[in-house]
Amino acid sequence: MAEPLQITARGKVALATVMARKGVDAAAIGASLGLTPPTGPLTAQDETMTLIGVGPGAWLAISEYGQAGWAAMLGGKLAGIASVSDQTSGYIVLRVSGEGAGDLLQKGAFIDLDRTAFGVGAAATTVIAHIGVILWKVDDAPTFDVALFRSFADSFRDWIAASAPGLAAPSSPVR
Amino acid sequence: MRLPCPFCGDRDASEFVYRGDAAPVRPATSEGFYDYVYLRENPAGPMREHWYHAQGCRNWLVVTRDTRTHEVFGAVLARGAAQ
Repeated sequence: MAEPLQITARGKVALATVMARKGVDAAAIGASLGLTPPTGPLTAQDETMTLIGVGPGAWLAISEYGQAGWAAMLGGKLAGIASVSDQTSGYIVLRVSGEGAGDLLQKGAFIDLDRTAFGVGAAATTVIAHIGVILWKVDDAPTFDVALFRSFADSFRDWIAASAPGLAAPSSPVR
Repeated sequence: MRLPCPFCGDRDASEFVYRGDAAPVRPATSEGFYDYVYLRENPAGPMREHWYHAQGCRNWLVVTRDTRTHEVFGAVLARGAAQ
C-alpha cells in the first residue's frame, strides 16, 4: 500500500541555473563538476548535487545542503565555460509524493506522466495551471519534485487545493 | 495541436509562441529590407516556420507544418537549422 499523498516544500536546498557557453558540451561541464549533466530532459545526481536538464546546454542544479555561497562556488568551478545564476530565492521546490501524486500532477500537466512514459529520473519543463514548472520524478513511491518561481507558490497551492480533493473520491477515476 | 520539440518531446501548442515564416533572411544592407520585413509567401501547404518554446526549453524551433491541415512533419532547433 502506497503512502498517502503528501505535499511539502523542500527546505534548505540551494538552487542555481547553469548555462553552457557557446561550443561547450556537457562532457566539459561534467569534467569540471565531477558529475556529467544529462543532455536531455533527465536528471543526474551524486552525493553533492542533482542536475536537471531544462534545455540544450541548460541545467537546474540543486544542492541538498543549502549553504550560503554554494552557487558562487559552482560558478567558480565553471568559470569560463558556463554561466551560473543563483536561484535559491527565485525558485521553491515542492515535493509531491505518495498515492495519487502522479494523478494530481497529471490533472495540470499536458504531458504523459504515466510511469511507462515518465519514469524515475525523467524531467520536464512545462506548465501547470498557467504556471511554469520544472518537474522531475525522484522515485517510484511515486515522488515528484516541482520547482516553480517562489512568487507563484501561493497560486500553485491554490491549484493543488482545488485539484487534490477529487482524487480522494474512489468513484471518480482521474484518467 | 502538438509540436515535437527536439529537446522536450511532444508538447501542446499553447506552450509556444508563433513567429511565422522561417524563410526570410535579414539582408546585410538596406537593399531588400522592405521585402524582408513585409513580404510573405503565405503558402497553402508545407511551410517552415519559427516557434519559440517559451514555456519549455526556451529555444527557437523551425517547425515544418502543413498550413491547410496543421499536420506537423518535424521540428529542429533553429540554431542548428540552415536558413
